[in-house]
Amino acid sequence: MRKAPAVVAVVALAVLLAWLLYGWHPGVEQAAGHRPLVLAERPTGGDFRLHGADGPVALSRFRGKVVLLYFGYTWCPDICPTNLAIIALALRALEPAEREQVQVMFVSVDPQRDTPERLRDYAAYFHPDILGVTGSDAELAQAAALYGAAYRRSEQSDSAMGYIVDHSAYTYVVDPRGRLVATLEHATPSETLVATIRAHLPGKD
Amino acid sequence: MYHRAVILVLSVLAVMPVLAGEPAANIQVANPYVRAVPPGQPNSAAFMELTNPGEADRALIAASSAAAETVELHTHTMVDGMMQMRRVERIDLPAGETVTLAPGGLHVMLIGLTVPLAPGDRIALTLTFDEGSEEQVSAPVRAIAAVPMPHQHH
Repeated sequence: MRKAPAVVAVVALAVLLAWLLYGWHPGVEQAAGHRPLVLAERPTGGDFRLHGADGPVALSRFRGKVVLLYFGYTWCPDICPTNLAIIALALRALEPAEREQVQVMFVSVDPQRDTPERLRDYAAYFHPDILGVTGSDAELAQAAALYGAAYRRSEQSDSAMGYIVDHSAYTYVVDPRGRLVATLEHATPSETLVATIRAHLPGKD
Repeated sequence: MYHRAVILVLSVLAVMPVLAGEPAANIQVANPYVRAVPPGQPNSAAFMELTNPGEADRALIAASSAAAETVELHTHTMVDGMMQMRRVERIDLPAGETVTLAPGGLHVMLIGLTVPLAPGDRIALTLTFDEGSEEQVSAPVRAIAAVPMPHQHH
């Protein structure tokens, strides 16, 4: 009985991995006739449930707000702090009334090292309004698949890091109706984040 | 006779470095800095520009610091749509060129910080190069992506 969810998770991960390896080519020229069109497999977005320091959090809790989602992990010394700092800069550039209609979620794909409490402290360093969440491997895989976020744990036998989690570094923008409306590249400047947020604030669409 | 022999030997020894070939030119280190990190964050990175003014290709092969248990050389590459960070054994420094260690690319990684990193602190790094020479670098700690001080609290 207890094995079923694990089997489902493994199959889901295998399907995701196969899709990532063979069907996902963001910004890459397609060799004619060899790969399926990216457009046919765009991530759909959608609701998911993960866990913060104060308990379970469903993305749908933030309907009515613009949500920025970022997948990473706290042991990451460069990519994640860079993106979170830029997101924090964008939050500070908003008017207080605007900021109240925005929610940022930092999703850790390294639940082994990143507990919800650790995530709370880490996220707060960048901005008090950033919510850090994580979950089980199955919950994370489900959330990541909805947004086309890729991640992969990689054991590093030659490094004191132990294991590294390779991950796509996009920021996903979800509008007040819960729709995925933008996928922004790593280190997208804060001005672009601000403009994207403002374009989707409640009342704008 | 004895004195002349000594002078001769000393003279030969004095010119040995020249006879051995071009002396290793020092690698120039510019704009080093270390990233400030959230409290409890165990790892950080140091960035800098390394210029090799000489005529021989060189390489950075190791680094160390009292500020971290382990210091390694790392780089990032984009593979399968994911940012991969991997340890590298050396950072090549071609003759006459400048190699930049910057966010998103090459960096000196500090693993297992032994001290908190607050903006304004200075961290001592020792860089080791391929022919065995070492250079000491004093790197200031900088906050990530200059964040303007907010004037209002909320």
